[in-house]
Amino acid sequence: MASTLFRTIQIHPFSLYPTAICRRRNGVLYCTMKSTQTQTATQEKQQPPKVKVSQHTQSKTLDKITRDYEAIIGIETHVQLSTLTKAFCSCPYNYGSQPNTSICPICMGLPGALPVLNSKVIEFAVKLGLALNCKLSLNSKFDRKQYFYPDLPKGYQISQFDIPIATGGYIDLDLPLEFGGGHRKFGITRVHMEEDAGKLLHSGNGDYSQVDLNRAGVPLLEIVSEPDMRTGIEAAEYAAELQRVVRYLGVSNGNMQEGSLRCDVNVSIRPVGQSEFGTKVEIKNLNSFSSINRAIDFEISRQALLHTQGHDDQIVQETRLWEEGAQKTVTMRKKEGLADYRYFPEPDLPEVILTQEYVDGIRNSLPELPEMKRRRYEKMGLSMQDVLFLANDVNVAEYFDATISRGADIKLAANWIMGDIAAYMKNEKLSINEIKLMPEELVELIASIKGGTISGKIGKEILFELLAKGGTVKGLIEEKDLVQIVDPVEIGKMVDKVLSENPKQLEQYRGGKTKLQGFFAGQVMKISKGKANPVLLNKILLEKLNAKS
Amino acid sequence: MGSRTLLMLTNFKFKSSFASSSSKPFYLVKSSPTIRKLSTKTRSSLQPPDVCRLAETARISLAPNEVEEFAPKIRQVIDWFGQLQAVDLDSVEPAFRADTEGDNLREDVPETFENKEALIASVPSYKEPYIKVPKVLNKE
Repeated sequence: MASTLFRTIQIHPFSLYPTAICRRRNGVLYCTMKSTQTQTATQEKQQPPKVKVSQHTQSKTLDKITRDYEAIIGIETHVQLSTLTKAFCSCPYNYGSQPNTSICPICMGLPGALPVLNSKVIEFAVKLGLALNCKLSLNSKFDRKQYFYPDLPKGYQISQFDIPIATGGYIDLDLPLEFGGGHRKFGITRVHMEEDAGKLLHSGNGDYSQVDLNRAGVPLLEIVSEPDMRTGIEAAEYAAELQRVVRYLGVSNGNMQEGSLRCDVNVSIRPVGQSEFGTKVEIKNLNSFSSINRAIDFEISRQALLHTQGHDDQIVQETRLWEEGAQKTVTMRKKEGLADYRYFPEPDLPEVILTQEYVDGIRNSLPELPEMKRRRYEKMGLSMQDVLFLANDVNVAEYFDATISRGADIKLAANWIMGDIAAYMKNEKLSINEIKLMPEELVELIASIKGGTISGKIGKEILFELLAKGGTVKGLIEEKDLVQIVDPVEIGKMVDKVLSENPKQLEQYRGGKTKLQGFFAGQVMKISKGKANPVLLNKILLEKLNAKS
Repeated sequence: MGSRTLLMLTNFKFKSSFASSSSKPFYLVKSSPTIRKLSTKTRSSLQPPDVCRLAETARISLAPNEVEEFAPKIRQVIDWFGQLQAVDLDSVEPAFRADTEGDNLREDVPETFENKEALIASVPSYKEPYIKVPKVLNKE
């Protein structure tokens, strides 16, 4: 497609896996970079840009521009751990609490206070390191990263500099189908533990700012990726997979809106074939997966355009902010040389020592991770679309697993969950843990329909009641007398009744209006209260309709 | 905060970002060799302190005469520690830390600090419910 498309991903937990909306904006055009793996072999002969540039030609030019360059993207992610207490003190942390109510001398950095490490932080770090296939450092340490800023009470952040707890891993993911699908594997450079700073709010009138220290000292895991991503969608999916992993592991709720998952992206481009990297630009203020996608695509276009215009010296190493409203990146500040954080080992904290037994224990207790689930679902014969949907949310996957482990038909169970059940959850804004339909009952429902006890249509009707009020399938069938009628004699009687009660239509049918079969079928359904087996009904109806001619 | 150490005064420069374009991450390259190479030389091999820069990074304001006055004194302290340069470290593995005890861990059990009012009261500039600070836009 030569025209430029502007896509958004909306990732709702319970709708069908990401929907894509394509838009073209007047005047400002964005291209999505094709990843090298999906580029077609044929090269189109490009037209040189014409003087009167129509949107169509302009988009072709932008396409050509971005095709000549390769984007190198790396992501630094901060994951806020869902421990009950902070990293170095016993203050609880609850998002949304009244400001400055969860504080103590330690997290406020008052003189004489000493940090004491929360054992859960190590546990979560090891869990994540293993889940990301990293090598764990059995001996690591904390360091002080020193700088002055109003939200940093101690004047330094306790972090890990040269010996992080985990290094050299990778993450597997599958790109959404509407972006071409495909499997990717991206490297993870390191994972380390550190503490969060407080929250800094800038006041309206501008001459002072405000600090809330509730968040100061909350444990974070920083995940640094290898610069393996090449397009906005790869980067966005990387972030989405990290969210999936941390939620599967239960180490964080991975919420970008709440700030428990924060991503900073580094983007540079280089002409295809060049081995040196281009100048790297950092992008901050990305609050959703779709912003990650769009910001990167914008930045790639911006840099590519500057390159082709001969202005690549205007691409400087800097931090830019993504402006959601304007849909563009803007300069935040130019980097005046690299910051000097004067790292040195944190003298108040001892070495972090892991034993092989400890690590093995955690490894054995890891749940089935998203990648494993996807591969297992694929092997079961589900389509990629089903796989991506079911494995996206750990609770949905568990529900599905519970259903099929009790013997339900795999494809039918997937269809029910992805269709009617997902629609219900979306309408009522419920999670799958909150619906009243239990997996056992879904199994029963599927079996009842498959076995012919009730018709598919009736099944859908009682599903709604089961979702809203619970109860058992057997109970509802009995209570409402829903058993399907499959006795041909009984159906025959009903057909006879309908035919005798509608002589005019019968005549019309015999006269050639065969469409009226549907009318008769409907009438039989009505008197049978929807219980007549449709297939049998139509068979008998047809016989009787054609018999007396 | 615990002990202050004069390590802060030495001129170590570390790159802050790891998503760098070099093929080998900085931290995997042994960073201490600069000390080791000088192990046979004495005091004059250590770089003199850049007192202006040190004061800047520590956010301590010094008048020019104070800079002049302190520079030799700071240098003396560094050179005194510089005696360690004489130790032959060629066959010694770098230690992570100076102590030998490990683990001092705490269970993940919440405890509210009782006297939060005293904490708030000690804040010099407090505008309920926030700590009031001057507007600072750039980090460092």
